[in-house]
Order: sequence, then structure tokens, then C-alpha cells
Amino acid sequence: MNRTSLTRLVAGREITERLQGRLIRIMTLITVLVVVGGITIPGLIKGSSTPTRVGLVGAEAQALAPTLERTATAAKAKIALSNVSDGALARQQVTSGRLDAALSVGPSTARVDVKQSLDPTIRAVLQASVDSAHLRRALAQAHISVEKALPALTPVPLQAVALKPPPPDRTARTIAAIAAALLMYISLALYGTAVANGVAQEKTSRTAEVLLAAVRPNQLLSGKVLGIGLTGLGQLAIAALAGVIANAVAHSTNIPGSVWVLLPAFLVCFLAGFTLYAFAYAAAGALVSRQEEVQFVTLPLGLFLLVGYLLVYAVIAHPDATWVKVVSFLPPLMATVLPARIALGHIAPWEIPLDVLIMGVSIWATIRIASRVYANALIYSGARLSWKQALRLTDSAPTVKEPSRSAAA
Amino acid sequence: MMTGGLDVLDLHHRFGDVVALDGVAFGVGAGEIVGLVGRNGAGKTTTMRAVMGIVRPDRGGVMWSGHAIEQGDRLRFGYMPEERGLYPQMRLLEQVAYFARLHGFDQAAADDAARIWLDRLGLGERTGDKLVALSHGNQQRVQLAVALVHGPELLVLDEPFAGLDPEAVDSLSQVLFERAAAGTAVLFSSHQLELVERICRRVVIVEAGRVIADGTLAELRARLPAELRVKVDAAPDWARSLEGARIQSADDDGVLLVVDPGTDPQTILRAAQAAGPVEHFGFETAGLVDLYREMVSR
Repeated sequence: MNRTSLTRLVAGREITERLQGRLIRIMTLITVLVVVGGITIPGLIKGSSTPTRVGLVGAEAQALAPTLERTATAAKAKIALSNVSDGALARQQVTSGRLDAALSVGPSTARVDVKQSLDPTIRAVLQASVDSAHLRRALAQAHISVEKALPALTPVPLQAVALKPPPPDRTARTIAAIAAALLMYISLALYGTAVANGVAQEKTSRTAEVLLAAVRPNQLLSGKVLGIGLTGLGQLAIAALAGVIANAVAHSTNIPGSVWVLLPAFLVCFLAGFTLYAFAYAAAGALVSRQEEVQFVTLPLGLFLLVGYLLVYAVIAHPDATWVKVVSFLPPLMATVLPARIALGHIAPWEIPLDVLIMGVSIWATIRIASRVYANALIYSGARLSWKQALRLTDSAPTVKEPSRSAAA
Repeated sequence: MMTGGLDVLDLHHRFGDVVALDGVAFGVGAGEIVGLVGRNGAGKTTTMRAVMGIVRPDRGGVMWSGHAIEQGDRLRFGYMPEERGLYPQMRLLEQVAYFARLHGFDQAAADDAARIWLDRLGLGERTGDKLVALSHGNQQRVQLAVALVHGPELLVLDEPFAGLDPEAVDSLSQVLFERAAAGTAVLFSSHQLELVERICRRVVIVEAGRVIADGTLAELRARLPAELRVKVDAAPDWARSLEGARIQSADDDGVLLVVDPGTDPQTILRAAQAAGPVEHFGFETAGLVDLYREMVSR
């Protein structure tokens, strides 16, 4: 049996064991609910936004109706107008909640009654309409035709020219950066811990020794990482699919094409980050003497992930700062920071090969160190080991001298 | 001399300052059952781990069929470690079949073999149960099934009888006899010396990382001074001045003499007859327990 088929066998067992467990179903369900909820709930809230009900008190106010409608449309505010015969009745309706605001307009006064406060946009709409009516009335009284006064009243348009305009899909990209970092952080911590627990279970239940009689440590290690990684990827795929379907059904956000093209980059980052962390978590799991110690030995790894995730908010605020660039080259932080920088579009072309190189070298080094710690610590039955102790535990290679065939025969 | 089966050659291994193995060497031929005996910490488990490739010895090596063991060879070995361990949440059939697959069986053959061995070891009704639901003794049977499922050419069993009830001891002994008859080399360790005596033809005694005795029980006995019991209807004084023999004990059953190798028993018999009528004259057969005590105390 060759090496890869043993690895595949080990991976297959990991996947079967996980799929049979109740935990994965619960976790998948929770992830799907969070994703679907995150997408549909803001849409539902926005969809249910009702127009502001404005009562127009008296003939003057009621004459403003067409202007109000036009201004509101221009300001993208929703208002519903109704006529009310007198002020007392209007105020009563505002108090009881049948109206949100009641507008009364005098020759040089205007008043709006509200229950507690007035939405600034609605206030601006009302103000502009009242101002416009007042202006027309004043011009008419001064016998100046509106047509004559209009050029003087037309404001000079001030054109704002952005020298470094943000990408048109900036909001979507920021959301994508946060979502990618969050997903990366949660899934790496979750599956990393799963790897550490799996290793610790094999060690503390002494299954490792039976396994190592048939399987080499590196086959066992890579099989475990592969199995748990594929399970995790499957779980993420289900959550992502649920998200896409929910988005299509709820028409919540129009995801621009420029964000979709980031997905392959995210996938590569996930695979690289997972490989880096999974091997480190596996080695950590092999250090324990009791299952309960897993939490303790994996704490530093969890902290790296958390710092990497939190840094994404700094990256969003200062995408071009030098320190952001420096930090994004640190391998333990790369897994979360890099996808965010890619999403924000603030990554220079020369950085990508450098990132790939650094990540490749760190994965290689991590696998080497982790394999050694894992192989040394897995059959060690004493107290919990430190990383240093586990690295030093190594035995020298056997020096068997094969006797000549004639001697053996 | 190489056995052509398992040959352990001059194993040395240290754990820090502790010398675990200090030149252990012995062999197990095909079809042979060899008992590895020694006190705790003598080096039995480290030797077995070295055979299975779990411990890499500092010096020396292990050969199979006349060549240094490779991973492919180990797939034809069956192992039961001292500290038992299997997946607690895995069902018996899946678990045993999984280990058969790790040893190169395809899925169908692995399932068949797992079923046969679980059935054989009295767990045929429980193939769908999780390991954790089994009693300690039954878990031990599953562990044994895992060691046997792929029909190994070499069985390495570290304390296989520990914690088994008499019935299970009998059925395990039966399995070992059958495997050996089919040509499997069997190496097992045990503290239950009467069991080792019953099952093994050959015994290897290790002490402080060295093999201090290796041979059949008869060969080991020959290396010790013989014990001769003589009952004469007279006071035991007749035996005090014997050449080449001294009194170990004297009681109503006569005197127990320790006879040096090379001493002719006939001279002792003649001395006894001279003292009075001889009622009993015979060598005591030393059991493994006596042999072991004697060897280790030297």
C-alpha cells in the first residue's frame, strides 16, 4: 500500500467520524442560520420601512402637496400626505400615532408637530418645500416674475473631483473584507481546534501506538489534516451556498461582479491558512497528556488568529499605511489580513509573489517542525511537553547493518 | 544465529540518562511462540516498540526474514501495545476493518476479516456497538482482533493476558497455538509466568536492558544447579559432608540437596544407602517461576 493511499484512508476515517458526530450537524446548522440571517434580516428591516405620514393642516399647507411630493422623491424619502382640517385634530392624531408629523403653514411662519423628534431627512424635505413656497409668494408680492429671478436663485454647482476615487464598489469590498476575515478566523480556529482535539484523543486514548505500528507519523498527520480540512471546506461550501441562495431569494444586496472574482483568492488564502494552522494545531495537540490540556496548548495559536482578525479593521481604516503592509507579510497574520487587503484592492502587484513565497516557506517550515514535534510527542506518555522538549525528544536513527545475503541464508 | 523470522540484534536505547536497552538480542522463528519475561522496567516494552518501529533504537536493529525491517514488512505484523488504545466512539466492525485496511486489505476483505475475528472472539453480536459501550475485558478482545485481523506473519503482544478472565485466557492461548501452527512467529510478554510456561516453548528473560537467559525451559533448567530430594530413614547428617552437593533444606520429606553440575548422582545415592533405607530419591523439576527467580537474583 503506498503512502498516499494510507493518508487517504486516515483522512477518510476522519471525515466519516465527523459526519457521524452530532456536533458537525449542529455547527453546520448554526453557520447556515447565521449566514442566512445576516443576509436576509437587514433586507427585511429595510423592506418594512414605512413612509412617514405627514398631515397637512389648512389650505396653505395642503397647497404644498405637489412640492412636498417632488422634494421627497428627489431626497429619496418616503412620505404619505393626508389633509387634516384643523390643528387640534392633527396634534391629537400625532399623539395617538396615526400621524408622524403635522405641518401647518402661515404667511411667514411654519410649524410641524411631532410626537418626539423629526427625522432629519423629512425635516429637510419639509423645510425646502416651505422655503420654496415662501420665496414664490414673496416674489409675487414684489411683482418679480419667477423666470426673471430664477438665474439669480440657481446655486452655482460645486463639482467635487476625487483625485484618488474609491472603487465604485467600495462598500461591497469592505463588507467582503470583513466577511472573509471573520469567516477565516472562525473556521481556522474551529478546524484547528478540531485537529488538535483529534490528535490529543489519539494520543491520550493510546490509539496512536497501534496506528504507528502500521502508519508513519507523517501519513497519520497529513491524513488527519486533510480529513478535517475537507470536512471544514464542505461545511463552508454549504454555508456559502446557503448565503447565495438566501441573497437571491431576499434580493438583499446586489453583490457586484468585482466581489465574486475575489472568491478564488479567498479560497487560496483559506487553504494556505488552514494548512499552516492545522499542522501547528496538530503538533500542539500532541503535546498534551490529558484531553483537557488542549485548550491551554492551543491558546497562543488562537491569539494569533484573533490578532490577525482584529487587524483587518485597522487595514480597512488605513489601507495604505506602511505598517499595514509590513504586518501583512507576517505569516501567522497573513491568513486573515491578506484576503482583506485583496478585497480592498490595496495590494500592489509586486506584493503577491512575495506573499506566495513567504507563505510557501512558512508552510514548509511549519510542516517540518510540526511533524517532528508530532512524531516525538505522540507516543510520549509522561506529563505535558513544551514545544522545546518535544523537539528535543528525538531519537537518533537506527544504525542497523544489514548482513550480507550469504550470511543470512 | 539468524532465525529467518524475527531477529533482534544488539539493541541499545537510552531515554535521557536511563539505559532502557543494553544490547538486547534474540530471535523468534516462524511458528515459534516466545515469551518475553522480566520485571517492570527491564526493557520488554521498549524492545517490542523497537520491533514495531515505534521506538528508533540508538544502536542495533531488527531484521525480518534476514533483512532490515521496512514499512512494508510491518504491514504483515500484528501488534498489541501494553497500553491499550482504540477509537472509543468507533463501532467495532468499522474499527477492526479500518485497521485491516491500514494493513493493506481492500474494504470487502477488511469487512469479512473483521467479522470473522469479532465472531471468533465472542463479539459477533456486538459488531455495531461503539467500543466505549463495551466492558474492559471485551475492549481487550477488540484490541486482540485488531492485532489479528490481517493475518499477520509476526504477532507482537505486550501483556496480552493482563486483565483477562480465565475463559478469555484459554481462548487467547488457543488462538496463539493456532496461529503458531499456521506459521506465525509469536512474541509476547507476560508477568504471569505459569501462563508463559504453559504456552511457550522458549523463554527470553530480560533484566536491566539485557537478555540474561534465552532458551527452552529444559535448557534453562540445565544451566541451574539441580535440586535433588532424598528421603532416608535416618537423621540428615549423612548429607552434610557430601562432595558436590549441599543441603538446601531438611524436613519430614527428607533433605533437598543442591547438586553442582557435573556431580554424579550415583555417589549421592550410595551415601544415602549407607546411612539407611532410601524411601525417595528424585530430581525436583524447577518451574519457570523458580528459574526466573534464580536467574534474576544472580
